Formats: sequence, C-alpha cells, structure tokens
Amino acid sequence: MSGYVASLLSVIGINMILALSLNIITGFCGQVSLGHAAFYGIGAYTAAYLSKLGVPLLLTLPAATAMAGLIGAVVGLTSLRVRHDFLAVTTMGIGFVFLGFVRKQKWLGAELGISGIPASGLDPLAYALLIAVAAAAVIAFSLWIKQSWMGFTFDAVADDEDAALTVGVNVPAYKLTAFGIGTALAGLAGGLYVYFARIILPDTFDFVQSIAILTMVVIGGTGSVWGVVASTVALTLLPEASRAASDYRLLIFGTMLILVMRFSPGGLAGMARSFLGSYRARRRAAP
Amino acid sequence: MYFVELAVKGLVYGCMYAMMAVGLALVYGLLRILHIAHAGVFALGAFMAVVVANATGSLALGFALAMVVSAIAGVAIYRFAYQPLLGHAAFVPMIVSIGIFIVMQEGFRMLFGAYGIAFDHNPYYTATVDLAGIRLNDVEIAMVVAATVLLVGFGLFASLTRAGIGWRATVSDPQMATSFGVDPVRVRYLNFIFGSGLAGIAGALVGLLNNYVEPTMGGLVSYKALAIIVLGGLGSVRGTLIASLTLGVVESYGTIYLADIFDRDAIGFLFLIVVLMVRPQGLLGRG
Amino acid sequence: MTALLRIDDLHKSFGGVAAANGASFAVDAGEFLALIGPNGAGKTTALRLMAGLLQPDSGRIFFDDRDVTSLPTHARVRLGLGFTHQIVRPFYSFSTIENVMIAAGHRQTESPWRALTARSRQAARERAAAILARIGLAGQADQSPRALPLGQRKRLEVARAIALDPRLLLLDEPLAGLSSAEAATMADLIRALPQSGITVVLVEHNLGEVLRVADRIVVLDGGGVLADGVPAEVMARAEVRQAYTGTS
Repeated sequence: MSGYVASLLSVIGINMILALSLNIITGFCGQVSLGHAAFYGIGAYTAAYLSKLGVPLLLTLPAATAMAGLIGAVVGLTSLRVRHDFLAVTTMGIGFVFLGFVRKQKWLGAELGISGIPASGLDPLAYALLIAVAAAAVIAFSLWIKQSWMGFTFDAVADDEDAALTVGVNVPAYKLTAFGIGTALAGLAGGLYVYFARIILPDTFDFVQSIAILTMVVIGGTGSVWGVVASTVALTLLPEASRAASDYRLLIFGTMLILVMRFSPGGLAGMARSFLGSYRARRRAAP
Repeated sequence: MYFVELAVKGLVYGCMYAMMAVGLALVYGLLRILHIAHAGVFALGAFMAVVVANATGSLALGFALAMVVSAIAGVAIYRFAYQPLLGHAAFVPMIVSIGIFIVMQEGFRMLFGAYGIAFDHNPYYTATVDLAGIRLNDVEIAMVVAATVLLVGFGLFASLTRAGIGWRATVSDPQMATSFGVDPVRVRYLNFIFGSGLAGIAGALVGLLNNYVEPTMGGLVSYKALAIIVLGGLGSVRGTLIASLTLGVVESYGTIYLADIFDRDAIGFLFLIVVLMVRPQGLLGRG
Repeated sequence: MTALLRIDDLHKSFGGVAAANGASFAVDAGEFLALIGPNGAGKTTALRLMAGLLQPDSGRIFFDDRDVTSLPTHARVRLGLGFTHQIVRPFYSFSTIENVMIAAGHRQTESPWRALTARSRQAARERAAAILARIGLAGQADQSPRALPLGQRKRLEVARAIALDPRLLLLDEPLAGLSSAEAATMADLIRALPQSGITVVLVEHNLGEVLRVADRIVVLDGGGVLADGVPAEVMARAEVRQAYTGTS
C-alpha cells in the first residue's frame, strides 16, 4: 500500500512540476509551446546517461535542469524570430526533432531507451517526498514570479508585445527568460522521473505527452498557479479512479479540452473566480 | 538514376503532403486557426474508404464516400467548434482543434480497434509501372494524378468562377469582399468542404498505398502539413504547394543521408527550423 | 545648443514608393515641434523610424548625440525617447492604473533579474495615481481600458508615455478622432508637457491646434522636408500652401 502511495505521490509531483513549468511559458508569458515533453525528455536523458556513468543524484538533477534550460533558451531564440502562429508549429517540431534524434542514437539506447538506471539511494516513500518538496518549491517559485514585477511584465508581454516595447520592456529578454526557466524546470521533472521509473523510453516524451501537459495547464486555467495545481492532481488521479477512466484517458482529455475552451476558456481557475464572484454578489444581496 | 528516383519518390510524397496542406493553408488564410483536427479528417477519409470498399467490394464507392464524409466532417468542425470561438484569441480554437483531433483518434480506436484494417482487395500497391527505369506503383501514380487534377481544378475554380474569385477576395481582404457582396460564411463553408474533401481523398490514397488504415495515421502527416504551411508562409496556397514538394524531396534525400542521425519524421521539422532561422517569414512569405 | 534628437538624411521606401526621402531635421531640448504635411507626406513613417518601429534603408538617427539608428524600440524608450501610437494600444487585460503602473515601474522592469527580485508595486501605484490625477483619469483608475471612451483612452496613452519619464515624447496624431471639446482638453495637456521638462514632437492633422501649441513647424512632403521654421512664417510660404491645396 505504501508503495502505491509513494508511486502516486511521485507521479503527481512530477506532473505538477511539468504543468507549472509550461505554465510559466504559456500561462505567464503567453508563448504557446506544443513540444514541452522534449525538455522533459532532455532532462531525463541527461540524468539517466550521467547516472549510468556513476554520477550521483545530487549532480545529475542540476545537470538535467541546466541542460534542458540551456537548450530551451536556444529554442526560445526561435520564438524571437518567428511570428506568433509559427511558434506553436515550431515548438511542435522541436518535439519531433528531439524524438527523431534520440531514436537514432545507439549511445542513448535508440528505440529501447535507457534501462538499468541506478537507484536513488532513498526508499520509495522518501524519494516521493523529495519529489513533493521539489513540487512545493516550484509552486512557491511560480507564486513568487506572479507577484513580482517579472509576473507583471510577463502579463504585459502576453497581452501585447508591441505595446510592451512601447513601455520600454525588453520583450526578447523576457521571452527568453520564460523559456529558460520553464524548460529548465521541465528538465528537473525529467531528472526526477529517471530515478522513479529506473527505465526511460523515447515514447514517454512524445507529442501526446506534450499535449497531456498542455491539457493540465489549459484545464487548470492558463496562468493560474493554483488552478494548474488542482487540475494536475485531478487529471493524474483520474486514470487511477477506474479501469474505464484509465482506458479512455485520452478521450476524456480531448473532450475536456473542447468543453473547457468552449464554455470556460479560463479553465478551473476561471470557473472558481466567476463562482466566487456570484457567491459574494449573492451574499451582498442577501439581507 | 538512383538520385533521380529519390527525387521522384519525394515528389510523390510531396503530392500527398500538398493534398493535406492546402486544406490547412485555406483554413489558416481565412480564419487564422491552426486546424490540427485536419488529421482526424484525413484518417476519417481513410477509414471510410477501407470500410466501404471491404463491405461493398467497390473501391470507387469507398473513395466517393471518403470524400463526401470528410467534407461533411470538416464543415461540422467549423460550424460547431470554430464558428462560436471566432472572437477568441488564436490559442483557444487551436486547443479545441487539438481536443477534436484526440477525440476523433480515440473514437476510431474504439470503433475499429487499435490495430487497423487492411483492404480485402488491393492489387494496386503491388502493381508497378516502369517509367524510364523508375518503378512506381499504381497508387503512387494515382496520388500524383489526383493531386494534380484536384489542385489544378481548384486553381481554375478560384481564378475563373464567380464563387472562386469571391473566395480569393475574402482571403485577402474579408471586409472589402463583404462590401462587394461576397457572403463570407458561404466562403468558409466552401473552404472546409474543399479542404476536408481533399484530405479525405489523401487519407484514402495513403491507406491504399500502405494497404493499411489505423487510428493514428493522421497524426504525422498533418503535423508535417502544419510545418509545410509555415514553410509556405502561412495562408499562401502557392507557397504551400512549393513547400509540400520541397519537403517531400528533402525527406527523400534526408532519409538516405541523415539516416544515422535522425529518423524520417524529424527531418521535415529540422528543415522547418533551419529555414525559419534563416527566413522567419517562411520560404516564400514576405517579411 | 546641441539637438536632443537629430535625423540625418533618412530614406525608407515600401515597394518602390519612398515614404522617407532624405528627411533631415533636428529637435532642440525643451522645444515643441510639430511635424505636419499633406496625406502621404511621410509623417507617420518619420515618426516610426524615430521610434525604432521601422528600420531606415539609409540615414542616421541621433538621440542626445548618440547614434540610435540600430537600437530596438525598447532600448530607445529606456534612453528617454517615449512615444504614443496613433491607434491606441493599451494593455486590455490590465486596469487603467495598471497600464500606467507598468510604465511607472520602468526601473523594476529594466531586466528580468531586476523584475524577479522586485516585489513592491506601491511606489509605482502612487506615481501612476498621481499621473492619472494630473491627466484627469483618477476616477477611471480601476476600470478596464475597454470601458473608456476614445478621448480617455488617448489620454491614457499619453499618461503611460509620461510615466516612463521621457526626455522627448513623439506623439502620433493624439487629437485624431476626438470631438472638438476632447481635442481642446488634449491639446492643453500636451502643451503643458514642455513645462515638466519634456521635449515634444507632435504629428498632427489638426492645423488649428498645431498653430496654437507648436514653437516650430517642420513640413514634410514626398518624404522630404519642405519647410522648417516658426509657425506663422512657415504657413505663409507659397510652397507649403501649394502642397496643402494638392497641386504639388
């Protein structure tokens, strides 16, 4: 039982870091990315490869974070060059280039991925708690960004890049920062995943994974930290709830994407806000 | 000779990409939506063709229904998903489009099984023709003929008929076209009918070419089609056609010369990213 | 006296049509300069070139004796070269006061790192509130810019530009589309800018208001400078009258 709890906690924590990291790029800074799983993969492959060389966890996790963030910043450079609509397709392309590359690299295990990854040295529950602490730190960091001038400036960039230039905002620098932070955190999630799964396959980091991460962000409410946290927990637990929910996980994700965008583009957070708003209005109206 | 054969095979694929990408370019040109659900329409065409052909024994009937049903599906997607969201940020209909694509893909999996269906009677993909030393099978030739006939037909329609001219006018300046009495809603329907019918035919042909139709077959083709419309400068039909053929040829050579580094599917996107770094407005787009 | 802003032989053409064709003039510190000319004279192009929204085909732009020709817009804004758009561009997801705050906090937004380590918005809020009060929008502080009529949106655009502490402000047709009462309010507001140390370059169609507020007028025609001098003298010149009556 405690093994089940530990594994559930680990998966929720990793998904939460992933969703919150994409939320910084897409939710805070307004840059749509359809290839976020690639950075999750870059982190995972970095950590897995280094761990097989005998590098300890205390070094592989920072390396995974740095590697993903570095490549993410380079990808961010494309976001400076291309028009808004191009970015979705370009980031989608990054995902396919990453997979296409990894699948052909014998030193990375090609189609079979990397297995036999050394243990973290912690028992499963302690490792799950480590992941939970990391997720909590990412939540705190997200909230900090949102309340700082960086969050305010990201809002301006997401709203209207040209107007942001007019008020002296170095839009390219801010976009690169968002890409750098978001992709680095996805790399951290990848590193954490490695010691949890002990085996990685290229397909774990495919387009469907990118869409799954995006689904958590969109359903939670792009830009809302607590909304994304709530939707991550709900969507991760959903397949656990029943066999049917697990078999039709993608179908449910797809349907939710359509319904949420159609009826509440603000996601769970938007619904909560309008519900609270009407509740307060009713309280005020009551004698 | 081998060099020429690679180019010819690349052009065959390019024709298939063109049949997919033109529909996407039309939707983008008119509505500024990245119509990812086009992949579902493509697979729908393939399934219609294989199911009807196997049930009735008539491939012609299968193809006719593939075209009609795909066109209806495209129009339904526009009417029920995109039209209510036209005032929203581009992000919103794109997410809905992803949702529709996932739902369609999962729907096919539930209806037809995950392992796909083969044609009961398909002599065409093994029957080859020798053209000056280059061997092509019947389906490959049909692909080139179908793409040429349908796209030239579309070109004539767009430049010679009243409805076609109204269509082009709407794409370049909706307000102006409306003031000249063109009904923009009719143009949009026409757009989805033509683009989706073409995708349905492409799906049916690809099914015949592989002698195999499966739920996820739309994915990769349409992701590449997205890359193509970006390469072509988004919304330009001429640019899309040139980009389709170029990508087909680049992939064809890339598969040989880059086989150890990237798989086939990554080459298209690698090409896209390299081109965008040099020309952010696409191959033919104006800055 | 050295010029605060100097443009030197600017050329810019669009598809073979020259929108700037050897335009050269200078703006002195503390001056109120109006840039006028008939439709298609290249006024907006000149302004967009100065703001860095367009790159010239050839020619140079100097701000405070520094060559800023290749600097991006945001870097010019940081040097003290502010501007407003002809078509207002508020951040629609922000409230009115937040629109001014993001500009008032320009020290905090200077780099992502500064922005990440700065948390308090109190000083910026106070500064923004003061500017809104001065510009007559105090009552609208918490409203969305969507709710504001055009005249107030245009004032918000000016408020946002002022909050950046510019040394020079480029105003692109701030009076366009306003009723005569609104236009008069706006003109008074703009006329007071040099008193707070802001040099103004005004692009404007409304000749009546231009003659009322400008110290000096530069007339553009065909992408080049047709006349340059004090308003009364410039408007009396034959070539200027001819350009405006459309027989050029």
